[in-house]
Amino acid sequence: MTAPLLTMQHIVKSFYGVKVLDDVSIDLFAGETLALLGENGAGKSTLIKILNGDYRRDGGEILIDGQPVNIDAPRDAENLGIRMIYQELHYAPELSVAENLLLGALPRRGGALNWLIDWQQMNRQAHEALALLNVDIAPTTKMRDLSVVEREIIEIVKALSRQARIIVMDEPTAALTPPEVQRLFGIIRGLQARGVGIIYISHRLDEVFEIAGRITVLRDGKHVGTNPRAEVTHQSLVQMMVGRSIEDRAEVRAQSEAITPGAVALEVRGLSKAGAFNTIDLQVRAGEIVGLFGLLGAGHTLLTQAIFGAIKSDSGTILVDGTPARIASPQDGQRAGIGFVPLDRKVNGLVLDMSVRKNITLSNWRVLTRFGAFQRGLEMQHSRNWVDQLGIRMAGGIETHTRYLSGGNQQKVVLARWLEANVRVLLLNEPTWGVDVGARSDIYDQLEALAAQGLAILMVSSDIEEVLSVSHRILTIYKGRLTGEFSQSDATQEKLLHAAAGGQS
Amino acid sequence: MNTTVAAERSRSQPLRLAALLKGERLTTLNLFATFILICLIFASQSDFFLTLDNFLNVGRTLGVVGIVSIGMTMVLISGGVDLSVGSVAALSGVVTSILWLQADVPLGLATVIGLGACVLVGFINGFFVAVMRINPLITTLASFSIVRGLAFVLSSGQTNQLSNPAFQFLGRGDVVGIPASLLLMIALFAAAFVVMHFTQFGRNLYAIGGSAEASRLAGIAVRRHLLIVYTLSGLLSGLAGIVIASQLASSAPRAAVGLEFTVIAAVVLGGTSLSGGKGTLIGTLVGVFILRVLDNGLVQTRVSSFYQDVVSGSVLLLAVGFDQIRQKLAAAVKDRS
Repeated sequence: MTAPLLTMQHIVKSFYGVKVLDDVSIDLFAGETLALLGENGAGKSTLIKILNGDYRRDGGEILIDGQPVNIDAPRDAENLGIRMIYQELHYAPELSVAENLLLGALPRRGGALNWLIDWQQMNRQAHEALALLNVDIAPTTKMRDLSVVEREIIEIVKALSRQARIIVMDEPTAALTPPEVQRLFGIIRGLQARGVGIIYISHRLDEVFEIAGRITVLRDGKHVGTNPRAEVTHQSLVQMMVGRSIEDRAEVRAQSEAITPGAVALEVRGLSKAGAFNTIDLQVRAGEIVGLFGLLGAGHTLLTQAIFGAIKSDSGTILVDGTPARIASPQDGQRAGIGFVPLDRKVNGLVLDMSVRKNITLSNWRVLTRFGAFQRGLEMQHSRNWVDQLGIRMAGGIETHTRYLSGGNQQKVVLARWLEANVRVLLLNEPTWGVDVGARSDIYDQLEALAAQGLAILMVSSDIEEVLSVSHRILTIYKGRLTGEFSQSDATQEKLLHAAAGGQS
Repeated sequence: MNTTVAAERSRSQPLRLAALLKGERLTTLNLFATFILICLIFASQSDFFLTLDNFLNVGRTLGVVGIVSIGMTMVLISGGVDLSVGSVAALSGVVTSILWLQADVPLGLATVIGLGACVLVGFINGFFVAVMRINPLITTLASFSIVRGLAFVLSSGQTNQLSNPAFQFLGRGDVVGIPASLLLMIALFAAAFVVMHFTQFGRNLYAIGGSAEASRLAGIAVRRHLLIVYTLSGLLSGLAGIVIASQLASSAPRAAVGLEFTVIAAVVLGGTSLSGGKGTLIGTLVGVFILRVLDNGLVQTRVSSFYQDVVSGSVLLLAVGFDQIRQKLAAAVKDRS
């Protein structure tokens, strides 16, 4: 076999005496996709930052084509053909695809002065670059008008057109729908065919199985193992990442037998909003977790926002515990006993620069204040109680700003706030987006425990495995209309996808 | 299980360092040290600087900036800004004097109506920011201009006498040797401190400044809070305008020109973030002291008055710049954990 394209050997890195990478070695061959798995804090991002020259390694070696190289700064990595595709893309939204692709190296014309941009030449070059990966996007389209996946693809094309040999993708599918993921995978396969080596970081195991040739798992800064895809299973990977075995949730559920839900806690009758959803009727019982599955833009997220009062609906009735509730604002929703966990917890769910304690008590202060002033002791007692009950973990105690919590713990803080506000109904949007596998299962456990205590939960998710394993009952939505209802026992991936794509059930 | 506990423990070490670097207490402490340093420098240069008389001199100049900076701190914490404070301060004096001199309204009532006009301006600011969702910079830049114009229109550009012993007490009087305006400022600071640090209203303002959308989705009545904050800023600016008129025993449409910049400088110097969600009233108080002592000290040490703005601008830049570096350092420590 020829020398690997990239070898990172015995990489060691410490921060302030804490070893975050301990003798980690990986290699990457040309035309291969290597998946890098691990929970948050496992050392994935540190490893990648060392490769990109953002951090300097304390020990170990990096070789390219078998030759030792020095990467001390991002510029070195760039010169060696290493490119990063980050989750958050940086681009100029008002400029065209071609301008973004060639930014910094725009072709010029205009004789000796060479001041003018040669638009024709620019579009031609951009077209050629796009053609390399068979991308069907007009070079003159504004970046702003592209979808998320198209912007990512442009970023990849840009990397390739600038002689990338190694492309690192950090959770590229976090914001993509299943068809978009397939489109991205087509591009990745195109890169492989051109001999580019790809390091692919993701939390979604099913994707990793689809696209990666080999899979490397890190845990607590150590290399746990690198295996060809065929030699690992879903479960063995999770076990490697978490360091313990996590039972298959659906199996456990099947054994524990059906729950017996209580009275109807949330009822929605004929709820409509033009352009979003149409005459929605649904019920969620106390103690029940209802999954709402649909593709991106199907209207499920808007539906939960309308039930909570974050957006206004045109017509329809909402009943909580059988009583009609007039809900026109989030305050109304909260007063009616509804809690809402938004899609993007970092932007909309939490005040990041406030402590865990203050975030937990943000919605429920009537109980905790006397004459408008907080009773510090009571507040502390209540928030500590939720921290213990939900197992919220933070390194700096309850006064840590929520910015510094992991995704799973942040999500628990949002949950705790609604529990503290004593809601009867909880509306969840993608509760485990960007959450580690281990923490994910922890959140599912919490949701089940809360349902068992009589909470009614409506969970919007585009993660079909999540919907199947957590919900007691599943509704599908397509273009703003409910298209199917399935009990947990007879729901399958095929049936759900069929109904969510508009097929009749 | 053991490994995670160990990881957690080892991770907490840099976190603690970061927390220390990032702490707001340190900001205030730094500021206080800066304040003392400035005092020491001036004391070594001027014999008069450290005397009780001079202290009272400074005290007399604190009131106006101090009172307005309370409202400004709250507005900035809520994620906005209020540029209209100087114009509003001029308005209250003008309205009061016009009513008293030209409409024979009793001075007490005239003052209340003058303040009422400022409350109205604040409310309108709040309405445009909170309900119409217009950028606060633009909203209050507009009212900054409109209200200043109105003050000129109402007064026909004239300075009006406001000589009345009771009225002048606020600006010139003493209570047991302490300037009345200073006492008013201290009382207002104390009240605002309680509101910002102990009540849900104050907590909510921090939350709104941190993330307005997250606050809204947590069931906080964001619009109502913003309305109140801008209205309060209008009221406090009006009050400061009354103090000015009382000090000068006259009202002028030109009063308090540039006050917004002094106040914002003091508040930012005190550690309040222009992007909202962060800041303390204690910090603001120290910020106000620093700027005022600086002005006073430069006069005492016979530095040309032309240099005063240069110096206070430089102090602002240094203090905020230093704070920025400190926070970057904290973020770097945190990132690596």
